[in-house]
Amino acid sequence: MSRKDPDRFRQGKARWVVLALVGLTAALVLVPFVIMLMNAFKSPADYSSNGPLAWPESFQLDGLKTYWQQVHFEGKLLNSIVISGSVAVLGVVLSLLNAYALGIGRVRGRMWIVALFLMANMIPQEALVYPLYSMAKSFGLYNSQLSVIIIFTVIQSAFGTYLLASVLGTFPKALLEAAALDGASRWTTLWRVVVPTVRPTLSVLLIFFFIWTWNEFFIPLVMLIDNSTQTVPLALASLQGDRLMDATTTNAGALISLLPTVVFFLIFQRTLTRGVTVGAVK
Amino acid sequence: MSRGKAGFWWYLLPGALAFTAIIAVPFGANLYLSLTKWSGVGDPRWIGLDNYSRLLQDDVFWTSFRNTAAMVIAMVVVPTLIGLVLSATLFDVIGRRFGPKTASFLRATFYLPQVLPVVVAGILWGWLLRPDGAVNAIAKAIGLGEHDWLGDPKTALPMVMLVMIWVQIGYPVVIFMAALQRVDPDLYEAAEIDGAGWFRRFQAITLPQIRPETFVVTLTCTIAALKVFGPIWALTRGGPNNATTVPSYFAYNAFFNKLQVGYGAAVATALTLVIVAVSIGFLKVQGRVEE
Amino acid sequence: MRSPRTMISMGAAIVSLALVLAGCNSGGDDAGSDGGGEKGGTLKLWHYESANGAMGKAWDQAIEVFKAEHPGVTVEFERKAFEQIQQNASMILGSDQAPDLMEYNKGNATAGLLSSKGLLTDLSDEVASRGWDKALSPSLQTTARYDEKGVMGSGNWFGIPNYGEYVTVYYNKALFKQHGVAVPKTLDELTAAMDTFVAKKVTPLGMSGAEYPAGQLYYQLALSKADRSFVDNYQLYKGAVDFKADPLKYGADTFRQWVDKGYISKQSASLKAEDMGTAFIAGKTPMIVSGSWWYGRFASEIKKFEWGTFLFPGNKLNAGSSGNLWVVPEQSKNKKLAYDFIDITMRPEIQTIMANNGGVPVKADLSKVTDPKNKELIANFDAITKADGLAFYPDWPVPGYYDVLVAGGQSLINGSKTPDQVLTDLGKAYDQGVQEIKNG
Repeated sequence: MSRKDPDRFRQGKARWVVLALVGLTAALVLVPFVIMLMNAFKSPADYSSNGPLAWPESFQLDGLKTYWQQVHFEGKLLNSIVISGSVAVLGVVLSLLNAYALGIGRVRGRMWIVALFLMANMIPQEALVYPLYSMAKSFGLYNSQLSVIIIFTVIQSAFGTYLLASVLGTFPKALLEAAALDGASRWTTLWRVVVPTVRPTLSVLLIFFFIWTWNEFFIPLVMLIDNSTQTVPLALASLQGDRLMDATTTNAGALISLLPTVVFFLIFQRTLTRGVTVGAVK
Repeated sequence: MSRGKAGFWWYLLPGALAFTAIIAVPFGANLYLSLTKWSGVGDPRWIGLDNYSRLLQDDVFWTSFRNTAAMVIAMVVVPTLIGLVLSATLFDVIGRRFGPKTASFLRATFYLPQVLPVVVAGILWGWLLRPDGAVNAIAKAIGLGEHDWLGDPKTALPMVMLVMIWVQIGYPVVIFMAALQRVDPDLYEAAEIDGAGWFRRFQAITLPQIRPETFVVTLTCTIAALKVFGPIWALTRGGPNNATTVPSYFAYNAFFNKLQVGYGAAVATALTLVIVAVSIGFLKVQGRVEE
Repeated sequence: MRSPRTMISMGAAIVSLALVLAGCNSGGDDAGSDGGGEKGGTLKLWHYESANGAMGKAWDQAIEVFKAEHPGVTVEFERKAFEQIQQNASMILGSDQAPDLMEYNKGNATAGLLSSKGLLTDLSDEVASRGWDKALSPSLQTTARYDEKGVMGSGNWFGIPNYGEYVTVYYNKALFKQHGVAVPKTLDELTAAMDTFVAKKVTPLGMSGAEYPAGQLYYQLALSKADRSFVDNYQLYKGAVDFKADPLKYGADTFRQWVDKGYISKQSASLKAEDMGTAFIAGKTPMIVSGSWWYGRFASEIKKFEWGTFLFPGNKLNAGSSGNLWVVPEQSKNKKLAYDFIDITMRPEIQTIMANNGGVPVKADLSKVTDPKNKELIANFDAITKADGLAFYPDWPVPGYYDVLVAGGQSLINGSKTPDQVLTDLGKAYDQGVQEIKNG
């Protein structure tokens, strides 16, 4: 009795069809970005006369140069990197500590504790802004990057705690027992056994926290007043006036603002593919 | 664990302190503000539950919650389903047959909308959906006819939903693809040997194995959908005629445009309570399934 | 790959760096750019006008003049995002991070509100001693003075405007010539002109329903049937405003008529002001009714056809006001330097720079203006102010009224509500808002 090949994707044309479909979907997703690229390299007169959807008459780098100099982009870039990087690292650490207690320690009432931490994500930011402003002012942290770092560490670690606690909740007991048998303390177990195993998840969190914090606009708008402390999204906002807006420079600025996050994502994507699976039990 | 659970509480200390300072205290302040009348400067004036009774009679408030249902579909249901299929396809089929680099590249492409500042997304989609924009050009070509997509109250919300799907797809794809790596490949091999096809394996092994991540994705997307603000602000400012307004935008409008901070605080509190209720429901289901 | 220990040390390094940077940035009052501000002081100055606009250029020059006249004083100029100031002004001005001098929006909801809460310095004494009131016509002074409740028109001086703005009609001379249309001098002539365009299948009036232009057209139409007492009632709450009677009823009805007759495209409900402007620049639109703030951009970007402006035909009252104000926060640490700067901006040479770059200065010497279209723009504004014809803007009376107006405009364009329904909505929001203001 011949068995029908159960995996018909092993060879043949089907896989090309799948690739084409996925590729087409990806291309559609990219359409707005193509438009952004087109307009980033247009001259303002070209954009006004021919509209945003027309191919540029000529490719100009002026928009990019003007934007960079006008908003002192190097400073904004540094601020964003510092803030997003700090939040990413601190957020992952905080999430790890919380999730360790909740997912592996399985402390009592952990569902309620997770829900409580998640509140940080559930409250609309407008509700927090006035009280946070007052607190920051009284601590002398208003208009400082530290205020933004602290706030976002808490907000992002809410998600991190939830995700990690869920994942650690299904952590193989065999590994933990093996470590306990070796006489490892809770602290050692955390760093030597748990962390290496859930590294893919930690990497995901690191990437997400960095990107989400990078694009945050509202709270930095409230907290960071001096141009020297401001981040990349705020710099972009400076192109939008009361009644007039500079479209080509905005697109050029968006392109420049986008590149660091894309680069960051591409670099850290590799760690996602190099993850260690739970199969290490063997 | 022989040492008992008491020691684990120490690990929660930093998180608890930070949470109290950044979330609990301000939320308490917000609660207080919701019982006052305040323009943002000067002193708040106590008015008790007036804001809440006004809220219950405010049509726009209820409309904003109705629109939230649409947001949930566009930001939770559709992206999660598409995300599951896409991530499995990318991981299994494309990753294995065409190499991990192709899969990574495609994944990055799908994630790109998540990385774009929402204000810029609003501008770009605004251009596409303009009466003389690309969407109308395509609609005319396929015989659908031109339309003012964002200016007509009937089509504005569906269009916003479309944009939200575009924005959200990347997030489940990335999370699920990371989750798929946790799955023991031995399980797949065993199933293949037993004669299970791709879909059967997907159903019986993949889905249950990545259940924690599925819960996380659906819950966080739901919270995000309930809380959504940026894209609404960037695309339609809640219009036309409140056709696309959502509670967050409604609160923002009260806080910063109308300078009715107390009323805005009441809206924010109401929204938070809804989100908390939904989340607790979710977590209970997840807890029961995990046992 | 990376051991946990490395990750932690990396983290610690980043956190330390962050704390150090934060320490350098917080506080901020000693952050002179070259540290040389000790002797003469520092002037922390903010505005949000674009660098290549009329005000941006004029104020850059003013900074140079200031530096020359105040050696030893460091000028810390920061160009801000309008969004940030608009949303957070009360927070900024209520802290010690406020600047010494800044540009701020005029009107009850903005300058009025902050002045009533004591966040702005009362400039009345300076005005008297430096003669700024002589430079500003009474029409323009309305938006510079606010009473204790924050209502404009009377009371102490809280801001000084350098420029003005008003709503006018921009027209494409080439399209007018092509279709044989002359510049209309009355409202009837305007409708006749638009009929001509419609007959030739050209939509005569560009419009944007998603932003301010729709509301401004509705207001201009209403003003064609209004007098000064209406403006006083509507803007200064001097009396009740009936939304179901003329002039506002005329404004909404006529707006709807214009949509029905094809003067305004039914698909403009979702267009932004930017879309309306770029369509005009591209030469597709015969006319738009919008503000003098477009002038500089049109002048630099329209190269393919002749264009011009004319006042909204037949109106004695026009939407418009003084430009944004220079305000001195109460927390300003160098008020005298701030006053000196304001004084410099009012000088003829600075005003002339503004005039020659497409702006509308408050005190222009027309003989120094080189471009004839510029001259016309400014002359028209002077004519309006001399006749006390500034009627401010329709969204000013009530905080948050802008969104209500936008919703109303969109409904008038896409036909989802009748003019009567729109007027009801507008009236309700207006009455509620005024009620709140009156009850404090």
